[in-house]
Amino acid sequence: MSWRVAGLCALTWVLQAGAPAVARGQTSALPFAEGVRAYKNLDFALAAGLLRRDLARLTAANAPAAERVPGLVYLGAADLFRGRRDSALAVFQRLVLLDPRFRPDRLVFPPLVTSMFDSVRARTKTVVISVPPDTQVTPGTGGFGAWLFASSFQTVEVTLRYEDGAPFRFLYSGPIGDSLRVQWDGLDAAGQLPPVTRVLLRVTSRAPTGELAGIAQLPLTLRLVQPDTLPWPPPPADSQFLPERASGRPAMRALWGGVLLAGAVAALPAVVGESNASSGPRVAVVGAVGVAGVLGYFLHRPGRPIPPNIHANQVRRDAWQRRVDSVATDNVRRRGDVRLAVHAGEATAMQPRTQ
Amino acid sequence: MKASLLVFGLAVGAGALAAQGVAPAAALSVATTRVRSEVPTGTSQFAGAVIGGEGTLALGRVQLDVSYVQGKVDPDGASGPGYDLVEGAVLVRARTVPWLTLGAGVHARSYTLPGGTQRWVFTELRARAAGLFIGSAVRGYVELWRAIGADVNVPEAFDHAQGGEAGMIVRLSRAPIVARIAYRIDHAVLGGGTRRETVDGVLIGIGVSRR
Repeated sequence: MSWRVAGLCALTWVLQAGAPAVARGQTSALPFAEGVRAYKNLDFALAAGLLRRDLARLTAANAPAAERVPGLVYLGAADLFRGRRDSALAVFQRLVLLDPRFRPDRLVFPPLVTSMFDSVRARTKTVVISVPPDTQVTPGTGGFGAWLFASSFQTVEVTLRYEDGAPFRFLYSGPIGDSLRVQWDGLDAAGQLPPVTRVLLRVTSRAPTGELAGIAQLPLTLRLVQPDTLPWPPPPADSQFLPERASGRPAMRALWGGVLLAGAVAALPAVVGESNASSGPRVAVVGAVGVAGVLGYFLHRPGRPIPPNIHANQVRRDAWQRRVDSVATDNVRRRGDVRLAVHAGEATAMQPRTQ
Repeated sequence: MKASLLVFGLAVGAGALAAQGVAPAAALSVATTRVRSEVPTGTSQFAGAVIGGEGTLALGRVQLDVSYVQGKVDPDGASGPGYDLVEGAVLVRARTVPWLTLGAGVHARSYTLPGGTQRWVFTELRARAAGLFIGSAVRGYVELWRAIGADVNVPEAFDHAQGGEAGMIVRLSRAPIVARIAYRIDHAVLGGGTRRETVDGVLIGIGVSRR
């Protein structure tokens, strides 16, 4: 057996050392595949060695849980079959902590493995938190939701906390079976908008005996999003208003126009070279023109109100006032339309040392 | 009667012409007329009223004026027979600047005397200055003319003739009605000054205008 293991290790070393650089990049999945092959060949020691090495590589690379889980379940089974039960328990517990929702395939693994995994999962009290990376909610409506996935039935306490650990908002306390959705309305305990920009979503798991079983924690970055208010519409420029009082120009034009025209009528015979023209008809026209001029002066006297202009200006002022009222109403709505942007960070999990 | 028919015809045709961009106008006119003749043997003066009509067709800056009046004048301040007076004119005008219009045309006048009809036909150049002086309702105008040719069947040779008209036109703001009052005077000199003919009077008109 040991000769076979040594031979296989030597072969692996030769393949890794002698392979071209290009081919080396394609062998990243080899330890896992070789480990699974060794497991299937019942060479559990070789399988455990290869799988451990592969898991160490993935852990160092901070690979996601989905990539580490298959190696862990094969490693746990290999350790179990080579008589290392404690090691298998530790591997399965690590697997449960990594992904509480994982279940080994019962067509692949025998009941010995699955029953042991189930017992570990039942003993291990852990929760993972699943939230969208970025969310916008309207405070007060309970729009921010987080899914909790539990490894087994347990009691959890879900709270939001300040960065220093002080309680910020209590969300839930009670049992959880498989999963649970908790809601946060975006407000603090006093019903106000969050005064801080960063809180922690903490899920504390407890065993049925009440002792602390684990803590999962997710940092949340908060940002208030408030739409800009609209600027007030500028008042109409003075140049847009019509004069509401008559100026003196039309009145003077009527007066002086009448005087000039009357003078032209009176002087017309002399202009055409006739000095003996009768004066009666001329006087009549001069009088009519003069009266018209004086009448025009009084009709257009300076300072006289001009009702059409006053009305037109009032219509313009009313239109501006309506725009101001509309903007004011819109701004009140915009001030109330505050949204809370929530960005989720990297979740962390902690287990008590006693476990 | 002829004048009435002319005015009626112009008024009826006004609507159809306006649709083609032609601005028509027509008016009835009543004028007091005083005719004064100074000859070496003495001065005669006749006065009376004439009635008639006038019409205008304007297209852009150009307009055609037609006028016709007739009536009877009687000796002024004396007894005696009077005579009929008929006067008409056809003028073409062009507006050079908004306040100045220049024109030319023929102006004819006839007196039906016991010894025969006396005709005065003048070929004239005219200039009219006009402008609003009471709001947009009242426009004043002054017009001067001078004859550049004449055909007169009197013994004296034609020397020169000129005349003028000044008055105001009132236009109602909400209706196409215009009214006019003006003083007009024509003065002709014949035979080196041995004969002077002066016709003057007050003209009152009322009509319709789509301008």
